[in-house]
Amino acid sequence: MSCIYSVLIGGKAGEGIKKSAQVIASALMQQGWFVFQQDDYQSLIKGGHNFSTVSFSTEPIHNAYVNADLLISFDQRSVETHWLDTLKTPQQSLHCYNSDISAEFPDAGTARLLGFPFLTVAKQLECKPSNISVAAIALFFVWMGWDETLLEQTVRKAFKRDLDENSRFAKAIWEHGKAADIRADICLPDALHSMPRRLLSGNQAIALGAWTAGLDFYYAYPMTPASSILHYLALKQTTHKVYAIHAESELAAANMAIGSVFAGAKTAIGSSGGGFALMQEAFSLAGMVEAPLLCILSSRPGPATGVSTYTAQEDLNFALAQGHGEFGRVVAAPDSITNAFSLSAELLCLAWEFQSPVILLCDKHLSESSTCVAKFPEVPFADDYTAIAPKEDVSASYRRYSQQESGVSPLVFPGLENVTDDVVNKWNSHEHIPSGLRTDKADAIIAMKDKRSRKMDSLYEATKRYKRIAVYGDGGPLVFAYGSAVMELQEAKKHCKTDFRIISLIYLLPFPTAELCQFNACEAIVVEHNTTGSFAKLLSCELGVVIKKSILRYDGRPWDPKELASLLEVSFNA
Amino acid sequence: MRDLGTNKENTWCSGCGNFGILNAVKKAMSSLHEAGLPLADIAITCGIGCHGKIFDYLALSGVYGLHGRGTATASGIKLANPNLQVISFGGDGDSLGEGLEHTLFAAKRNMDITLILHNNGTYGLTTGQFSPLSEHGYKGLSTPAGNIERPFRAIPLLLEAGATFAARGYSANPDHLADLIVQGVNHKGFSFIEVMQPCVSYNNNYTELNHKIKLLEAIPSSNSQAVELATNRDYIYLGVFSKMLLPVYHEDLYQDANPVRDRLSKLQRTHIIEI
Repeated sequence: MSCIYSVLIGGKAGEGIKKSAQVIASALMQQGWFVFQQDDYQSLIKGGHNFSTVSFSTEPIHNAYVNADLLISFDQRSVETHWLDTLKTPQQSLHCYNSDISAEFPDAGTARLLGFPFLTVAKQLECKPSNISVAAIALFFVWMGWDETLLEQTVRKAFKRDLDENSRFAKAIWEHGKAADIRADICLPDALHSMPRRLLSGNQAIALGAWTAGLDFYYAYPMTPASSILHYLALKQTTHKVYAIHAESELAAANMAIGSVFAGAKTAIGSSGGGFALMQEAFSLAGMVEAPLLCILSSRPGPATGVSTYTAQEDLNFALAQGHGEFGRVVAAPDSITNAFSLSAELLCLAWEFQSPVILLCDKHLSESSTCVAKFPEVPFADDYTAIAPKEDVSASYRRYSQQESGVSPLVFPGLENVTDDVVNKWNSHEHIPSGLRTDKADAIIAMKDKRSRKMDSLYEATKRYKRIAVYGDGGPLVFAYGSAVMELQEAKKHCKTDFRIISLIYLLPFPTAELCQFNACEAIVVEHNTTGSFAKLLSCELGVVIKKSILRYDGRPWDPKELASLLEVSFNA
Repeated sequence: MRDLGTNKENTWCSGCGNFGILNAVKKAMSSLHEAGLPLADIAITCGIGCHGKIFDYLALSGVYGLHGRGTATASGIKLANPNLQVISFGGDGDSLGEGLEHTLFAAKRNMDITLILHNNGTYGLTTGQFSPLSEHGYKGLSTPAGNIERPFRAIPLLLEAGATFAARGYSANPDHLADLIVQGVNHKGFSFIEVMQPCVSYNNNYTELNHKIKLLEAIPSSNSQAVELATNRDYIYLGVFSKMLLPVYHEDLYQDANPVRDRLSKLQRTHIIEI
């Protein structure tokens, strides 16, 4: 089996813990390693306890590990919280701590313990680095056996400010590390060295996937863990000609989005459960006016405000039943960060092809964790699928909701070249006749409801052209999961004696019965992050699988792959 | 020019102030069209309530949106295609109750759209409950003992929020109102037009309005004078209360670009992402 290593950096919010982990993950990736970065943080700006884990391997890695080979702690709380994690590591692990702050230690066990006076070093140099955790980067470089030139280049590239001070501080810590002889025995097989990859978070993959498929606008109100989609796209405005708008509320975001769609812009909205709840009425409006709208729901533990910065899969039924009234939608959940890129693109295209709202369902673990993506998969382009009324038809006879066999009526956009003054293009939140004018008439209601039903039949059929499920493994017991739980399972698989198959449901609505009917009446283990087993219930209801065991986790934390592996092993042998 | 009406049966009460507003809008659109604005470049939005029915009676493109959200929808249209003239219709309950946030924020952003507020001082379509602009003491089904809240004062509220054009018209004076709408649409920035409108079924204030209406002689020279005139208890002044030029949101966001016309192609996107 391949070697997997982990470094864990812990400290207070505001000390740059996540940033140093990103720099380390990036450096590892450039040296040819596969990496996975996971950040555990609280809903506060300064203080508290944050830690980031970077796990890396010579093989693709799908999740981070709790047990660290190298622990770098900047405060006493990190020492106390993570000390046991390092003790569990089979290899000789190393714990570097801030000797200016921490002095007391629990039983040292077999791990090496080294204090570094981070604050004193900075004081002696009379230098103020961007943050104290620049020290973590320096120590990690010594641990990996990387030289100080590479360190200087890396640190200079990583921080925009305090370039010289960061360099001097990093160099001094690097020398301390060198003197303490902390180099570990880790080397990378040569073959891996030159693979081009980039480090991407789930939210970045979602944003880029939708953008590659044609996204023009993103409307949102900040809510963790969806906020970084807004931040990322806002940064890309100049280079990517994409507009990320922070609206006054989720209600505004969703209604503005429908306005932009009406004008012809490919548009997405996103939030977590609470904000998504506020978007429900507009989601229903999108169903009624037949607005193509990509909606991103990144879950965290609920109900209500819940646990702001942690992960959960509690919103499956919420997504499946989003909005009031009857109308169709697609709900799909990416099962990896690379899949998030392609699924986001597919969903935007399906939305435009069938003029329907669609939901990309994910969670904090997928949204905010990062991994390396080698090459972006080829994705469809939304314009290629959009039913635009042919030019000669765009006249007084244009009807927004004209009856078509497929249920899909051609679109025109106001003020664009092929639309004349005679065109009246009306989108109506009331039930309507083909012209878009409101109606209460019984036969007209039936006709339009039937049109939308036919459209959804067409849409459901069209999802079959995409990969609606994924199967990982060749034989053995079946383990069902969706979303980020599949990442955990893929990594756990490396540590299980029993070979098993992961059945990952990427499309949840329409339920991929055609692909899954081969498993009808099979025994299954289900892994999900909630208390009620909503995914297991969906499986039993739609497929008739026999749930042998539901492995539920609902403390907001992702699984440690080894811990999950041993639970699976117990379930297989039960 | 083609007819701006539709064949939709009109269901407003006989004598409703909305007829005057509809006529004024048609007149304003005709003169804007004569002055060179293509009808294809006009988009309308509305919320829900008696005012919203105007959407069905106008042969213009747009979105009949959700209660209170018409300005948000209008903002989204304008941002995607700034070449469009976007006019949003709202009721007093719609734009200053359910959707107050969107109204204030559209003004705050100086979003280059026009909001026509049908102020009938009541919730007409839901059978006459009090609205954010109903007078203190107003009796409705939800306030049988009389409204214990005091009303918003629409023009001062919108001026404070950032509207760069604020005017008041009267549904029974459609020619004057049509002129205000033309000015509002031509104004670059957020234009707010409050329309005094009797509700013949639940708030029939025709006599009071006719008695109190007075035309402004000129645009007030200061904000405080505008507020004073807009809140005068003896007269209901009609006309333009404020007009100033400030940067508009979409130009601050992307200057003279047009997001739906200048979209990057599939090839361009694929190229950029590979870098």
